[in-house]
Amino acid sequence: MNPGTREAAAASRLKDTIAAQFGRSLHIRTLDTGSCAVCEQEIRLLTAPHYDLNRLGFFFTPAPRHADLLLVTGPMVRAFDAAACKTYEAMPGPKIVVATGACALGGVYRKDPFVHGEVAEVLPVDVWIPGCPPSPLALLHGLGVAVGRLAEKTPGLTFVAKEAADPETGGEP
Amino acid sequence: MPLWFLRGLSRGVVTTRYPARPDASAATLPTPPAFRPRLLTRQVADRLVAVCPSNALSRQDDVLVFDIGACTCCGRCAQTAAEAAAGPASGAITSSGQFELAATSRETLLKQIPILGDAR
Amino acid sequence: MTTIEPRAAQAMELTVRQLTGLGGLEVIGGGATRGAATVRLLPETLEAATHVLASTPGIRLADMFADDGGDAPTLRLVWARGPGYLVTETEIETEQYPPLSDIAPAAFVEECEIYEQFGIRPATGKPLNRLMLPPHAGPDFPRLGHRPARPPDEAHARHTVAGEAFEFPFGPVRQVGVESLYYGLVTSGEEVVDLYLLSWHKHRGVEWRLRGKTPREAAFLAERVEGLSAAALGWAFAAATEAALGITPPPAAARTRAVALELERLYNHAAATAALCQATGLTVGQSAAEIALERLLRVNAAAFGHRYLFGVVTPGGVSRAPDTAALRRDLPGAYGELRRTADALLTTNSFVDRLESTGILTTEQARRLGLVGPVARATGLATDARAAGARAAGTPAAGARGGTAAGPYAEHPVTVITAEAGDVLARFQVMLGEAAESVRLIGEFLDAGTTADCVEIPNAGGTGLGWAESPRGEALAWVALDETGRISRARLRPGSARNWRGFDDACRSQNVFTDIPIIEASFWLTAAGLAR
Repeated sequence: MNPGTREAAAASRLKDTIAAQFGRSLHIRTLDTGSCAVCEQEIRLLTAPHYDLNRLGFFFTPAPRHADLLLVTGPMVRAFDAAACKTYEAMPGPKIVVATGACALGGVYRKDPFVHGEVAEVLPVDVWIPGCPPSPLALLHGLGVAVGRLAEKTPGLTFVAKEAADPETGGEP
Repeated sequence: MPLWFLRGLSRGVVTTRYPARPDASAATLPTPPAFRPRLLTRQVADRLVAVCPSNALSRQDDVLVFDIGACTCCGRCAQTAAEAAAGPASGAITSSGQFELAATSRETLLKQIPILGDAR
Repeated sequence: MTTIEPRAAQAMELTVRQLTGLGGLEVIGGGATRGAATVRLLPETLEAATHVLASTPGIRLADMFADDGGDAPTLRLVWARGPGYLVTETEIETEQYPPLSDIAPAAFVEECEIYEQFGIRPATGKPLNRLMLPPHAGPDFPRLGHRPARPPDEAHARHTVAGEAFEFPFGPVRQVGVESLYYGLVTSGEEVVDLYLLSWHKHRGVEWRLRGKTPREAAFLAERVEGLSAAALGWAFAAATEAALGITPPPAAARTRAVALELERLYNHAAATAALCQATGLTVGQSAAEIALERLLRVNAAAFGHRYLFGVVTPGGVSRAPDTAALRRDLPGAYGELRRTADALLTTNSFVDRLESTGILTTEQARRLGLVGPVARATGLATDARAAGARAAGTPAAGARGGTAAGPYAEHPVTVITAEAGDVLARFQVMLGEAAESVRLIGEFLDAGTTADCVEIPNAGGTGLGWAESPRGEALAWVALDETGRISRARLRPGSARNWRGFDDACRSQNVFTDIPIIEASFWLTAAGLAR
């Protein structure tokens, strides 16, 4: 085994170990970079009885120092950059950044003097969760994907529908 | 406090079994569009690109690039497609029914939809 | 909506005539801002006119904004007078205009906003703070008008209370799951001496973005200014464009809008209940309220296809009709959940004790600051935009052009719920009363019939005022369309933009730190609506 492959194998094992740890117990810090407040409402409902985030071993924490995952909403208003970076840097590694909602993913607001347009312009995003707003179910799925507990579905979706005679949706043409 | 305790007991469990089991409430959620390439023409595609308020659609030659990340599931593209053509051709866009859209790479969220409607 | 009631129309005319008596006035009919009586004032008469309006009982300053359409910025004041509104327009050719917030304190926040966007200032020595724009907003930063000659101040009053008071900076990154908002909490220990809010880090510049868009394009952004009031702000914006163009949505479509508006009120009040429980540490109550909230959101999704009612209201009408069967089937159970939770909460002494006498606002404070919504109604003021009546293209007093049309609340009047104490408990009780009213109204609207209908939007010009009662108070919108039908200036004023200025008065004196989240939950505003 040459050194490069050994390193790659070690990195892969480390990544799996981290994912396994996070997958069983994850602390989440939220970050609002300019949302319309609805994404926050859906995120708050994650701890509501219908969804109960805690049963999955995921918890909210107000302290970035204790957080493993940063759940970011909003189009990254430029005036918020400093606060966003401070929150991210206050989190110890390893850490995961999840951008959630159309605003955070480049929709709704184009890049202009007010906003960056997407969170990835400022923070290193690991997982993207679409929706406007992403429902608590979509958020649960996204968090599961972020820790490797759930499989991503999007790579396999083509968003090409079968022809009108057989309206199968979202699968192969 | 006994009031709340008894209320809670009698209320029962409302917690979803998701992700272990599907949740029925997902059926009412808005979802991104799914496209029918044979019913898409360049002209219709350009109208869809113009009507999308969230920069989720763009056209490159005979490919409609659909950015799921930017999509807000507002339905304007589906409405425009329905108005752009009559009869069976109006079904160029339908609902995908997909809400589990999380992705670990930005590129996965960009879908290439071939525009095949002009070829006929 | 019906025409303004005859008595109210007369009162409006009386006010206009009083103003006319001051001289230097042009009373514009349906020519300028439609949907309201409009009065053009010369700068010399602005101060006197403001005096007249501010001291007339029953008249409230609803908004103040400027626009840079002509050679000089035009300053507009929107006054609410029971049913109907009066808009005064004044061209400000010099840099200064009369000190209006001395006469009408409700205008002081808007004076700061206008200064940083348009460079015109009131003739007063008071500091005009930078408000909406971020600190790095240099001369080239996008503004709605001309940049001010001198940059805005960054002054916050120094306080001393029997020794030292210090400022405790909190935010903008706050607790988990709440919006970013900066609190400048001035305290001498536990007591709140002063509290000021900064929201410029969430300023997306929505009004700047809307320029050049058609009404239908703009509606997408208008409802996302404050997503928790999407139906209300969407309706206000749609109504403003409809007034500007002289069109009216069909009555059944207007009833669809009203169903959406009441559903929005219901889920917001449930969310406020959950927030109150969280703030008081009653976790079981919070869970119970969250169950009700989730059920109500699912009712929204079943009825209108979106949990937060995005995309329902559109200029000209509505884009979809509610699923009446689903609504009738699911709403009673969801509301019953909220009702039972609220009843249990009101018998839980440990909860009620935290609410009583907390965050008191007096009627005088609410009136002076021009507060709206449950916050104002809990102090005894019976202001409710649903009772505002006329949604007319032009008003009878000013010579209506085009027809007047009946609005949904005219045939299904709202009982305005008020309370006297002005504390958190009173606000909570007003919300619960409103929730019951909303359920009743939805039933009536469904019985009267709701459709998905939309009228054509002509590509024409005009200016118009629109409003709707959001869950947190009156949402206003004013729109100026150019001849091609595109927006040249849009003003969006959600209820939050009005009510946050009452928050520090409510938090001061007798309240301690732990009361602040309780008071914030009882206001149930958003930072997004403040920052826009």
